[in-house]
Amino acid sequence: MVKKWKEDGAFLLFITPWVIGFLCFFVGPAAASLTYSFADYNAITAPDWIGFDNYTRLWSDEVYLESLRNTLYFVFVGVPITVTFQILLALLLNIELPGIRYFRTLYYLPYLVPPVATVVIWMILFGSGDGVVNTLIQGLGGGRVDWMNSEALIKPVIITIGMWMSGGSVLIFLAGLKGIPSSLYEAARIDGSGKVRTFFAITLPMLTPSILFTVVMQVIYYFQMFTEAMLLSRGGPDYASQTYMMNTYQVAFRDLNFGYAMAQSWVLFLIILVITVVLMKSSNRWVYYEGDEKKGGKP
Amino acid sequence: MHATKLLSRAYSYIFLVVGLLIFIGPLLWLISTMLKTQAQTYVFPPELLPDPFTLGSFSRLFETMTLMPRWIMNSFIVASINGLGTIISSSLIAFGFARTKSRLRAPLFVIVLATLMIPSQVTLIPMYILFSKIGWYDTWLPLTIPVLLASPYFIFLFRQYFLTLPRELDEATYVDGGNYWTIYSRVVLPLSGPILISGFIFSFVFTWTDYFTPLIFIQSEKLQMMSVGLQLIMGKNAQDLPMMAAGSFLALLPIAIIYFSAQKYFVEGVVMSGIK
Repeated sequence: MVKKWKEDGAFLLFITPWVIGFLCFFVGPAAASLTYSFADYNAITAPDWIGFDNYTRLWSDEVYLESLRNTLYFVFVGVPITVTFQILLALLLNIELPGIRYFRTLYYLPYLVPPVATVVIWMILFGSGDGVVNTLIQGLGGGRVDWMNSEALIKPVIITIGMWMSGGSVLIFLAGLKGIPSSLYEAARIDGSGKVRTFFAITLPMLTPSILFTVVMQVIYYFQMFTEAMLLSRGGPDYASQTYMMNTYQVAFRDLNFGYAMAQSWVLFLIILVITVVLMKSSNRWVYYEGDEKKGGKP
Repeated sequence: MHATKLLSRAYSYIFLVVGLLIFIGPLLWLISTMLKTQAQTYVFPPELLPDPFTLGSFSRLFETMTLMPRWIMNSFIVASINGLGTIISSSLIAFGFARTKSRLRAPLFVIVLATLMIPSQVTLIPMYILFSKIGWYDTWLPLTIPVLLASPYFIFLFRQYFLTLPRELDEATYVDGGNYWTIYSRVVLPLSGPILISGFIFSFVFTWTDYFTPLIFIQSEKLQMMSVGLQLIMGKNAQDLPMMAAGSFLALLPIAIIYFSAQKYFVEGVVMSGIK
C-alpha cells in the first residue's frame, strides 16, 4: 500500500508542470469560457447575464451561418480530396527507385513554410492578372481566371494550400506503407492478384489506421483554418471564404463581443467532438488493426 | 520483361517530376519574384529567371520595415526558448507517463490525449482576458509559458519513444540503488537524443511559423514576431510583390536550413507521432 502511494507521488512530481498548465491554461479558461458564453461581456464592463441568448442568436446570424457553411465545405470537400491526394503521393514516393529519397525530402518541404509566407506565394501564383497559374492556363489555350474574386473558386484555391502542405501526412502514410508485411504481397502475387486488386485488398485495408489518424488531423486543421483565409482573401469575396475561426476572431477582437465569441467557440467544439467521436466509433468497422482478429475487417 | 520494367520506371519518374514541379515550383517562383523589380513582376509571360536580376527588394524591405531584424531576432529567441523548454518539461512529464507505475497514469493520459484534440479557440479568449488582467498581454509570456507547461503533442511524442526503451534498464538501475530521477537523467535521457532533437526542432518550427498566437497577444511592433511582421509588410506594401517575396524568403530560410541539415529528425518525429 505504501509503495503504491510512493509510486503515485513520484508520478505526480514528474507531471507537475503539466498539472499546473492543465489547470491554469485549460480547465480555468474552459470554465470561464463556458460561464461567459451565457453573458453579454466585453471584458471591460461587468458581464450582463443573458442566459442562452448568445446561443439562440447564432441561428439568425447570417455571417455566422455563412462561415459555418464555408467551414463545413472545407471539411467535407477539402479533407477527402486532401487525404486521397496524400495517399497517392505516398504510393508514388514508396516506389523504390534510385534517387527517390531526394524526392521525398523536397516534397516534404512546403509543410514547413510559414503560413504567412505561403499566402504570399499563393498571391504570386494565383494573382488575378498575369499570375503564374493564369499564364499556364493561357498557354494551354484557356482564358484568364480571377481566382481571388470568385465566390466559386476561392475555397478550392484555399484547399490547394492544404494539399501543398501534405508533407507531414505523406510521411505518416509512407511509414504505414513500410509497415505492411511483404509476405502479404507475396501471397497476393502467388494468388495471381493484379495491381489494382492488391491495392484494394491489401494496401488500403492495412493503411486504414494511418488514414484514421490523418483524417482526424485534417478535420481539425480545416475546422481551425484561419491564417490562410484571413490573409489571402480576407474572407471574401462576399464572405465566400469567411471561416468559422475568422468569424469568431472578428466577433471577439473587432466587435469586442467576447460572450458571443465564446458561445461560438463552444458550438465549434461540440461540432468537432461529434465528428471525431463518429469517426472513432465507426473506426472499428473500417480500420484494420493487425493482430486484432475480432474487430478487423477481412482484408 | 526488362523493357516493361524500364517503361514503368520511366512513368514513375514522370509523375515524380510533375509532383516536384507542384511542390518546389511555387518556392522557386518566390525566389524568382524576390529577384525582380516591381515592373518585372508585370511582364507577360512571367519569367522564371529575371533578367537582369536585382536585390532591390531586400533594400526596400529593410528601409521600409526598419523593425525587420528585430522581428527575426524576436522569433529566434522565443522559438529557441520554446524548443529548449519543451525538451525539458515535456520529457519530465512524458517520463512520468511512460516509466512510473502509478495507477493514475492511464486516466490522466486520456486527458492529455483529449486536450490534444480540443481546438485551442475554446480557451483562447479567456486566456486573452486572463493575460490582460495579470499584465501578461503584450509580453512574450503568453507565447512561451503555456507551451512550456502543457504541450500535449510533445508529451505524447516523447512518451511514445520512452515506451520503446527496454524496461530491464530501469530494473538494473533500481538494483544499483537508483531511483526514478537517476533512471530519467542517467538512463532514459541519454538514450533519447534523437527524439529530443526532433522535439526541439518541431517546437522551434511551430513557434517560428505560428501567426495566430502573436497576433492575439502581442501589440507592440517592437515585440512582434516575424510571422506577424510579414503580415504588416503585406498590409503596408501589398503592391510590392518582390518585397513581400523577400520577407517571406527570410521567414522561410531558417526553417529550410534546419530542415536540410537535420532532416532525419523531422522524419523520426513525424513517424513516431503517427504510429500506435
